[in-house]
Amino acid sequence: MNKLYLAPTSNTPEVDFDFASRRLSLKGESYPESAAAFYGDILNQTSDFLGTLSNEDVHVVVQLNYFNSSSTKMLFSFFDRLNQAAEDGNQITLDWHHDVDDETILEFGLEVAEDFPAIEFNAHALES
Amino acid sequence: MSLQDINPCFPGLDEHLIFFYAGYFSQNIINAIGDAVRLRIGQSDASGSVRRKIFSTFIEMAQNIVHYSSDSLTPPEQTTLEMRAGSVLVTHVDNAFLILCANPVSQEFAEQLTPQLEPLRAMTNEQIKDAYRKALRSETNENSKGAGLGLLTIAKDSSAPIEYGFNPIGNGMLMFTLKATI
Repeated sequence: MNKLYLAPTSNTPEVDFDFASRRLSLKGESYPESAAAFYGDILNQTSDFLGTLSNEDVHVVVQLNYFNSSSTKMLFSFFDRLNQAAEDGNQITLDWHHDVDDETILEFGLEVAEDFPAIEFNAHALES
Repeated sequence: MSLQDINPCFPGLDEHLIFFYAGYFSQNIINAIGDAVRLRIGQSDASGSVRRKIFSTFIEMAQNIVHYSSDSLTPPEQTTLEMRAGSVLVTHVDNAFLILCANPVSQEFAEQLTPQLEPLRAMTNEQIKDAYRKALRSETNENSKGAGLGLLTIAKDSSAPIEYGFNPIGNGMLMFTLKATI
């Protein structure tokens, strides 16, 4: 389990989880027909990976243009797992990218930062 | 019937019409018409924030049709690659974008939807945001194929209270309509 890679489609993000180098990246669009089906295996593999860590640094990059309501729920669950790993003694950094005028994605990022304080959260505004 | 007669759903709004689709929706169709909606609203003078809200509302409504319309081409027990009927319209009237959708539902489903929709009409923006934050953190409702967040997402982006209706169309079915203002 060194790598999980899914190429982007019109409605799903590029998933580039390089477990060996401790770098997890989600980029693009996220409005699959079933977010639970799309993210189920991603969340399971992430949990398995996080379970193997002890006092390690993990760098997470999220740069999504749009995600629908059911993806929102799955992302929240993803960050919950990362937060648990941070509480267990790992250093988790989340780089959260959003378009400069996209308050919806920024607000969701701030919710994540508020609920999961063990994660080091960095918001980055991108010029559109 | 002439071509001029073909405007059965929303007469009088033509010059303001940005997008209209009626028929069967699948995820593949949503991907394709989502591109068209993005291009069309990209041609308007809407701000980036407004464009994003229109696109989000369109996707939530279209995916609700795929998951919940009672007019289904695919078997009811099938939960992937579903194809179900409905319509979505985006129009620009009096400096606001209106997004409407319609699809048939059973009486029973209408009775489940009403208590979810009616409170949203009475809530302030802040109350809707609070309800959204709570729903984000709650366990997923087992009747929901999504996260139960879809209607809250639509209401959160709407600048005026959402409007909805159920009109009998025979065979015990109702036409569900929902309108958001952005």
